[in-house]
Amino acid sequence: MNKTALYITAASTVSHQPTFGNAGFSAALGPVGADHALISPDYKAYIEAGLLRRMSKILRMSVACSKECIAQAGIGQPDAIVVGTGLGCLQDTEKFLNTSLTVEGLLPPTSFIQSTHNTMAGQISLSIGNHGYNMTHTQNTLSFEHALLDASLLLHEGDRNVLVGAADEHIDILDDITGQLAFETGAALTSGASFFILSSENTAYTMAELADVHVVGGVAGIQEETDAFLGRNGLATKDVDLVLFAGNPVDGALKNVPYLALSGVYATASAFALHYAADLLQADRGVRNVLICNALRESNLGLTLLRTVEA
Amino acid sequence: MDSLKEDLKKQIIEQLNLEDLTVADIADDALLFNDQGLGLDSIDALELIVLLEKYHGIQLVNPEEGKEAFKSVDTMAAYIRKRKAA
Repeated sequence: MNKTALYITAASTVSHQPTFGNAGFSAALGPVGADHALISPDYKAYIEAGLLRRMSKILRMSVACSKECIAQAGIGQPDAIVVGTGLGCLQDTEKFLNTSLTVEGLLPPTSFIQSTHNTMAGQISLSIGNHGYNMTHTQNTLSFEHALLDASLLLHEGDRNVLVGAADEHIDILDDITGQLAFETGAALTSGASFFILSSENTAYTMAELADVHVVGGVAGIQEETDAFLGRNGLATKDVDLVLFAGNPVDGALKNVPYLALSGVYATASAFALHYAADLLQADRGVRNVLICNALRESNLGLTLLRTVEA
Repeated sequence: MDSLKEDLKKQIIEQLNLEDLTVADIADDALLFNDQGLGLDSIDALELIVLLEKYHGIQLVNPEEGKEAFKSVDTMAAYIRKRKAA
């Protein structure tokens, strides 16, 4: 990724934490317990009733976060919509497959239509009447980082504002196949959605600068990759004020925080970490940069570096 | 009350996820595909075709029949009775 400055000018998350429509939430986070429910907004305030009745959890979260982001950033339409999702619309997929096993004859179309991974990006586009670039990336635990890379490339090519985000939803069967997912354990599997406006312009709404994003599939040495990534950005690990990590902490960093304990576990939880980092950079002037080190799956590494924006 | 129409209203609410409606909210002659009525759309029409087969064992293959049958709960009930009597 080249070094043209990119900025996060809006962020919105539905999670177990009081993240939605609540700037400064990073000061009041606690570990997610097994019995914690998602803190959802009043979806009727964001989605027309006729559309809402068909939407599964992942669609409601994604559309509400997207609309909230667009309102926050004060832009009419983003130039592009880019979404990352690890496992896609599982609720509708499960519903369609269960129906196909139990019903003879015609199958209900709604769950089939909405079972595809790109339904979020499509529904966002329909909800806001956007006719721009519309893309979905699904790369397991690196889906969000790939979406960020795509959004960054678009901005480098001349787009001004890109709506980029990620969402995943939990269904019960995931608890039975946790082993096959090969995710880092330590917190409960859950759902979440985070969306952002990534902009090429530093505006009054800017929360943080997205300094760099890097992904490595089949990673051999996480610490070595991390050191090299920081080096390319003129930093050593001791220069990083905060590391938000999934997997193992980064040796030599001033402070390591395991973000899965705050977000719960889902394939795109690093998007929660990005919102957390951006919120913290705005709220706490003592934090100048944050590294998100996503090794939710041991073989995949996503590195995202955020910097504070000087006034 | 006509139990077939009552059942149809329950089935429509369930099949189409009309979360905010109850049976009492749907008049027998309310237009299903009109904003003054239920405001259903083309995806709902497909769901109604599935509903007919799932709950009443009726396959609707002629789109022209569907236009007439899906006007209201009244016309749906009449269509079901006609097909079952045939």
